[in-house]
Amino acid sequence: MRPLDWIVLVGSLASIIAYGLYRGRGSNTVDRYLLAGKTMPWYAMALSIMATQASAITFISTTGQSYVDGMRFVQFYFGMPLAMVALSATAVPIFHRAKVYTAYEYLENRFDAKTRALASVIFLMQRGLSVGLTFYAPAIVLSVIFGWPDRLTTLIIGITVVLYTVTGGIRTVTWTDVQQMIVILFGLVVALVMIFVLLPRQISFLDAVHLAGFAGKLNAVTFHFNWNDRYNLWSGLIGGMFLALSYFGCDQSQVQRYLTGKSIAQSKLSLLFTAMAKIPMQFFILFIGAMVFVFYIFEPAPMVFQRIEYNRIRQPELRPRYDPIAARYQDAFERRKAQALAIVQARHAGDTRAENEAVEGYRRAQQDVDAARRQGASLVETTGGEKGFRDTNYIFLSFVTRYLPTGIVGLLIAVILAATMSSSSGEINSLATVSVVDIYKRHFRKHATDHHYLTASRVATAFWGAYAVAFAGLGKHLGSLIEAVNIVGSLFYGSLLGVFVLAFFFKRVSGTGAFAGMLAGEAAIFAAFLFTGISFLWYNVIGCLVVIATGMAVSYVSPAASATPGTAR
Amino acid sequence: MPPAPREMPDEPPPFLGTWPRVYTAVIVYLALLIALCYVFTRAFS
Repeated sequence: MRPLDWIVLVGSLASIIAYGLYRGRGSNTVDRYLLAGKTMPWYAMALSIMATQASAITFISTTGQSYVDGMRFVQFYFGMPLAMVALSATAVPIFHRAKVYTAYEYLENRFDAKTRALASVIFLMQRGLSVGLTFYAPAIVLSVIFGWPDRLTTLIIGITVVLYTVTGGIRTVTWTDVQQMIVILFGLVVALVMIFVLLPRQISFLDAVHLAGFAGKLNAVTFHFNWNDRYNLWSGLIGGMFLALSYFGCDQSQVQRYLTGKSIAQSKLSLLFTAMAKIPMQFFILFIGAMVFVFYIFEPAPMVFQRIEYNRIRQPELRPRYDPIAARYQDAFERRKAQALAIVQARHAGDTRAENEAVEGYRRAQQDVDAARRQGASLVETTGGEKGFRDTNYIFLSFVTRYLPTGIVGLLIAVILAATMSSSSGEINSLATVSVVDIYKRHFRKHATDHHYLTASRVATAFWGAYAVAFAGLGKHLGSLIEAVNIVGSLFYGSLLGVFVLAFFFKRVSGTGAFAGMLAGEAAIFAAFLFTGISFLWYNVIGCLVVIATGMAVSYVSPAASATPGTAR
Repeated sequence: MPPAPREMPDEPPPFLGTWPRVYTAVIVYLALLIALCYVFTRAFS
């Protein structure tokens, strides 16, 4: 990075944090610290929800996912609007009227203390694992750019986030999220414009889109149904809806955003706006990945994007194995480039026959490029590299740092760091809220002053920040980070969703039934994860249905247990 | 620690009159997006 990049990077982040701290001043009661005194307008909540969900992983990993697998990942979000409508009609008014700090507090009103405690612990486990991954993503950025150790990068980001989250509470978190989201959207537009600027002059926008499409990168909708296929229309609509219901209805990091609303209507609007904006935004990010693919048709891309591993497999002792693969890759790359230019020429000349012939050759060359890349990854794996090695997370960053002009690099690094901070601050804030409200106050210190709980909330925020930094290194072993985060979430969300469905719609289900249902739901999800090849999107459906069935069955067998509802807070 | 009592009326939405109409509009919008994605996939595959 050059001085201008540093100025853009530091200036953007410092101004965002300063603005957030300014807007968050006066968070001196628990109500203001955790719920912003219920004063937030819908647009701030909506942008905060989007910013919390859009972590650095979204930009680093989603673009790489599109480069490798095409745009079909967008289907993952098709269920979200359906979920948002359902939540606006049910969960939002229920949570608001129950005047709760956390979603799990409501479970004690409806069921009992043990159900609330189990749901809280499941949330803490799930979100605690994910928050480490959120921190790890930017550590990749700076390790690729500067060669800095991951741990140091994580520590610097972690300290910054903890400082402003501890100081200003959710109001600061929300207003920094708003600013961060604006920087993120601006940065994405700039990135796409730069890709088109950098393409060869004879390649028009439509040519680039066709080249991506011919290589299968614009497969935004696929109808083929397969239980083991992660992204198709059906898994997106059904599995994605269940995941979104779980995430936005049962995950405190999201519920807490819309609990800060001035009114039920404002909270509903924030969710519905998010539902409408999310799919176009993800489409746009994936499209950037597809265009990076087109860019690398004309510019030589490294066979392996992870620079350290790439340099390692080119060491003299590995050359006998590396050279044949590299030669195959180079040959396939040249053929693909030639065929791509032939396609463009034929398109411009209106020669359909020549175009079709070139497309055939182009696709064959693409298959060879993919095969060589797989061999390269296998070489990394079999010579001491990581098992299941994938370089998806490095593709976009390699492009940014190598080809974008000074100033823009700083802006895009700021985008990635802003996304990390917005996600992790929301996650840490919600982890602290559940720790204090659902665990500490409920089970250890029931009657203390407001100031005591405010201090406890700040201490818990600092604790979860430190925890996240400590566990950030786990990300290294999890392949595509965007998938890893969603898989971790799916291991726990189904049972959380199931218990809230029981709470909202099954009046006769008892606390014991709900508790047993959650345990059975978790067992079913882990059985599906460990012993079947079922795609993770279906775990939420499975977990939810098992919780409902078990909860109803246990309540039917032991109905007396429902006569002892607990008292919240 | 308990928050001050607040009234939480379910106000009407700022547009389309009722919430069910807003929900319907969101679902129609989703159908439109999926249709556009399908057209996009077909047009460039």
